[in-house]
Amino acid sequence: MKIKLIPNNEQDLSKVFIFLLPLVVLLSASINFLKDAFRSFSNVLPGNQVLNYGFLDKLSNQISFNFLFSFILVVTVVYLLSKSLGRSIIIFPLFFLTGLGLIGIEFIDVVLAFISPEQLLDLGNTSVLLLIKILLVGAFLGLILLNFLAKKEPSIFLSSQFLLGAVVFYLISLLIYRSEYTVMSDNFFINSMYLSTHIYVGCSFVFLSIFYFLITKGMQATLFSKTLGTISFWGYLFLLPWTGFKYFYGTTLPDWIENVSIYLSLSLIIPLLALIVNYSKTIATKENKEPVFSVLISFAFVVFGLTNVLQIISSISNVTPIVSLTNFEYSVRYGYMYSLILILIPFVYHLVPKIYGREFIYGRLETFNAYLLGTSVVATLSLNTLIGINSGFSWNAGANAGNPTIYGEGFLITWSLISTPYTFILFLSLLFLLSTFLFTLSTLKAIIGGSVTESETVSEISGDNDE
Amino acid sequence: MSELLAKVAEILGAPETLVQRSAEARAEASGNTVEEVLQSWAGGEAIAASVPAAETSVVEETPVEEVKEEVVVEEAPVETMEKVIEEESVELKKESSLIFIAGVLGVAMFTYFFAFAIPKNQSADLVAESLNNEVAVSQEVLKGAQVYNDLNCQSCHTQNVRLLIPDSQNGKILKNKFADEVIIKNTGLLRLGPDLSTSATREPTNNEKWLTRYLTDSASVRDTIPHPNYDFLSTSDLDYLLTYLLSLGEVNE
Repeated sequence: MKIKLIPNNEQDLSKVFIFLLPLVVLLSASINFLKDAFRSFSNVLPGNQVLNYGFLDKLSNQISFNFLFSFILVVTVVYLLSKSLGRSIIIFPLFFLTGLGLIGIEFIDVVLAFISPEQLLDLGNTSVLLLIKILLVGAFLGLILLNFLAKKEPSIFLSSQFLLGAVVFYLISLLIYRSEYTVMSDNFFINSMYLSTHIYVGCSFVFLSIFYFLITKGMQATLFSKTLGTISFWGYLFLLPWTGFKYFYGTTLPDWIENVSIYLSLSLIIPLLALIVNYSKTIATKENKEPVFSVLISFAFVVFGLTNVLQIISSISNVTPIVSLTNFEYSVRYGYMYSLILILIPFVYHLVPKIYGREFIYGRLETFNAYLLGTSVVATLSLNTLIGINSGFSWNAGANAGNPTIYGEGFLITWSLISTPYTFILFLSLLFLLSTFLFTLSTLKAIIGGSVTESETVSEISGDNDE
Repeated sequence: MSELLAKVAEILGAPETLVQRSAEARAEASGNTVEEVLQSWAGGEAIAASVPAAETSVVEETPVEEVKEEVVVEEAPVETMEKVIEEESVELKKESSLIFIAGVLGVAMFTYFFAFAIPKNQSADLVAESLNNEVAVSQEVLKGAQVYNDLNCQSCHTQNVRLLIPDSQNGKILKNKFADEVIIKNTGLLRLGPDLSTSATREPTNNEKWLTRYLTDSASVRDTIPHPNYDFLSTSDLDYLLTYLLSLGEVNE
């Protein structure tokens, strides 16, 4: 196994990324587990500066939604862009440096959060780091646009469409994060838009990019309908950024934007249906009969679909006030992130033979892990949904003002309703951590010890596509 | 099979998908397998368009020269493929990158202005019209708000009472409008623990001694509800935090 630290082309770079990707996922799952452990047992665990809930929560967000996301985005762009545009990446050295810089700057954010949280506030969100991040994402977007303009394929494949959408909204989310806070509602505007552009659009678009690649090229099937794919692309692109405001129903936000958010969230049913039909019809023509590979893709798709359904449910007028400001939104946020992580696993399994020329064998370990991952993720999302509804009902029942906290008895009632699901979530996040460890193990085992097979060449990477 | 498919696709200069579909169509029409059709195309050989028994028998009875002529004219694979490519060319129509990029950037700009910039200004104007309360906040309170933010207390506590009553009708919350940025950030977006917007107006959270014990050793006060211990805070930071918490809910009429 040879990995070049300074790659010459997208294949060399993909080699490095595929090697590191499971480790980054493992890091994210570890911090997530620590955070969940601290939430349930915060009064018995040591409360030092590193091991307190607030610190771990911030760190977990930065690792999962910033560092891991940027890593996955760059990996996906590096491999899939050339694949779907029918040519090798132009100005590759600059592309490599920009991608590396983007991951690097997110990593510096994480390191600063760990060693010096106070400095992070000065450097992170307000000025220097964020400005550099914006410049890097802008440069990355510019290079992608150049590659788009120089494409050799007559049509624009769905994978690359979604990648472009993800990067554009990544940039928008960073620009929004630089906005000034003047009145209370700014907190809702800035956070809601950052959340929906960075996580809802970002994670789901990278997910859909990999998803369309895997159900066609990976499953060796022919895409059922490009039109349906286009409907899902423009549908999600237009609708998803608006879906966060509904969680602030009744606040100082203008009424029209709360209502528009509710109606557009309900409209998510359109791209979702287009996606479901396209998926089911496309996999009917699959030639790849590997069951574990299909199961992993199906789980990722189920989680993504479930997340969309949660978005739609939370737009129903009777439900909206109950689920606002609760863990319900967390299940949506983590739903998009988990679906991305789940689709990443078959993507890596698919790429190991192509990039490293090592055979990947789906054994008992991989089968067990696929089901472990799928069930732990679905259960975690369901429990967060349950916590959201329970606590929402509890806060509403306690007082009309939603503040049943005099002498703390209100929160005692709430905690009695939500503590058990939290304990289960802790157990599930341990299982998720185990799954990511097994995923790392499977990947490294195949990369290091797998039997030699024919790998893809650079020209093949930039070549055929079944979409 | 996939190698064969790739080879044929290379010979014919057409995408694999198209070749696969064409081969399937040809196989169905001719009664052969897809592989046989592909092999014939790979070798540049012809294959019978349809081989029903009756036609075969006719061929057998036909003079040799005539059969050859028929085969060459009707079954040349290149001609067939060209025909199929023409039929399928609708799917491979050229899409302009420029139009697509313009579309995506257009939606992004539309979203930025109509979902963010315009309503954000509108919201600030609404608040400005309905209120006249730029609250003077002491430096100690501001430092406490910063400690609150650094500890990420807002990840569990909101300062936003409004599940059924909009903020615009809640006088106590309105007192925080036009405050410092860090105070606004502390509004919080998820309520796991109690809302703290009026915590200084009620027992026991208006009691400094109780708060100090709860923040540094929560189990000694309430062991049924988990709350992090902030025993690592310096004395000054703890004091600032207490000052801030004890200011929440103050009414500056």
